[in-house]
Amino acid sequence: MDVATDVEQFILSEIMTGSATEQIAPDEDLLATGIVDSHGVMQLVAFLRERYGVTVHDDDLTPENFQTIAAIGAFVERAKG
Amino acid sequence: MLTMERLYTQAAERPEHTALVYRDERIAWAELVERVERLAHGFAERGIGAGDAVGLVLRDDPWFVTCFHAITALGGIVVPVNPAFKQTELEFCFHSADVRGIVSDERTAGVCERIAAGFEHPVEVITTTAAHGQALTLEELIERAPAGRLAPRDPDEVFVYQFSSGSTGRPKRVPRTHGQIAAEGVLYGELAVTAADRVFSAIPLFHTWGMGACLLGPTVWGATLVILEDPNPFLLKRHRALELLERERCTVFPGVPFHYQLLAEAPGHADLSSLRLCFSAGTALARESFDAFGEKFGVLVRQLYGSTETGFLAANLDADPVASFASVGRGIGAVSFAIVDDEGAPLPAGEAGEVTVSSPAMTDGYSDLPEVNAEAFAEGRFHTGDLGVLDGEGRLTITGRKKLLIEVGGYKVDPIEVQDVVEAHPSVAEAIVVGVPGSTPGAEAVKAVVVPAEAFEERALIDFCRERLANYKVPQQVELREEIPKSPLGKILRKYLV
Repeated sequence: MDVATDVEQFILSEIMTGSATEQIAPDEDLLATGIVDSHGVMQLVAFLRERYGVTVHDDDLTPENFQTIAAIGAFVERAKG
Repeated sequence: MLTMERLYTQAAERPEHTALVYRDERIAWAELVERVERLAHGFAERGIGAGDAVGLVLRDDPWFVTCFHAITALGGIVVPVNPAFKQTELEFCFHSADVRGIVSDERTAGVCERIAAGFEHPVEVITTTAAHGQALTLEELIERAPAGRLAPRDPDEVFVYQFSSGSTGRPKRVPRTHGQIAAEGVLYGELAVTAADRVFSAIPLFHTWGMGACLLGPTVWGATLVILEDPNPFLLKRHRALELLERERCTVFPGVPFHYQLLAEAPGHADLSSLRLCFSAGTALARESFDAFGEKFGVLVRQLYGSTETGFLAANLDADPVASFASVGRGIGAVSFAIVDDEGAPLPAGEAGEVTVSSPAMTDGYSDLPEVNAEAFAEGRFHTGDLGVLDGEGRLTITGRKKLLIEVGGYKVDPIEVQDVVEAHPSVAEAIVVGVPGSTPGAEAVKAVVVPAEAFEERALIDFCRERLANYKVPQQVELREEIPKSPLGKILRKYLV
């Protein structure tokens, strides 16, 4: 499973727990739609650390890195080097 | 002086002075007033007139400010709501207010159209852009309507409907008049803010705190409002917030404890030496946040107190607010506090009880709820549902809540409202919703304690809630129990649920 799909599954199962939504487009704005709020960001940070060993530094906490699933995937790839 | 008269005053006294900063846009007072006039005339052409309620479902931007003033200036009643609300929540607000029009943006136009279709009378949806095929946009209204001075309003006309959980129960509609809003403007005039100030807006303008500090305040002061675009999630916007605070040399920052805590924890440093007044409201400021923000930015955060029913009431204006940091200060102007016991008898200074207040800015009572009003507004004083104590010098400190509201990221969540939704799910026999400690100091999370009726699936319940409640109200924790702990008299023992 690629990172984007993995992140999508995490958001669907843990952040949108029980939502009728079955998929999220890679370019859907997670922030403007309210899918991910401050609490959701913290959940994602913990998930990325546990799953990929990626430490999200405070400087990385920007809308650009968390705006979409594609952006989160790209961030993880960069962080993994 | 009523709100539109204050706007005219600012436009006359400082026409070129910047009223609004939003992204790269700067709007001067004269330009803002002209846009308000044109939009008000445009609304009037669409049949919106005095006494008509108009829903406002917009994010914080110049359109929000312009629409807010235009609706009220033509005698309409503005109904600002949280744009994160789900359809059922918006329906409740708009049906309660019996709106004649709704202003929305591309994010909410579709749901607003569906809600409008459910009214027996015509409800026009006007949008910021031509999304969803709407024929009419705000820009078009402004372009084709003339400017022209708007007639003065009557102080007794209703200005705004907001919604509050109040001291008990479910959301109630709170009407406040032009006269009451003008009185709140006078109270804001007591703060040491002038036209030279630059006010940073990160609190939602639909909320009573945002409406007061960021919409009414600047019309009184003539100050510049710097709007943080899309402030949520604030955790990701704090860099932008610091950038704007520094770049625009903001001097006044009304916020909630969550803001100050997250900015204090932000990496790096911003030069906030221009900042001189930070007012925290909404919930108690933790000492940890007060200290951390003060140490990092050299500004001491002062607590401020108010409510949807009353508007702004008190602020800690002590010369040295360190010793009195926990206090929300003294009542401003004609505001008078009294602490009462369970029987409503006044208590002396130093004794804690329910905070009651009288203010020229407060509502006359909730709409259509005479029995609730008889209790909540007994003897002309609003019973806030907050517990507090006055010191010998009149400073008020909030010590707790008589009511059961949950504080989530600056929002108040009524557990009864959430509980109603949870209990409406077919697999739930009984439920209690409580607040539990959240992830940041002083913050809470929503927890549902559920007695299942049949095969229970947490995901199905959360899904059910998400369809009916704004995200911040949806329980973050669900605990299953065989029964809800109750006293022999049937009183729910909440202390065993948190």
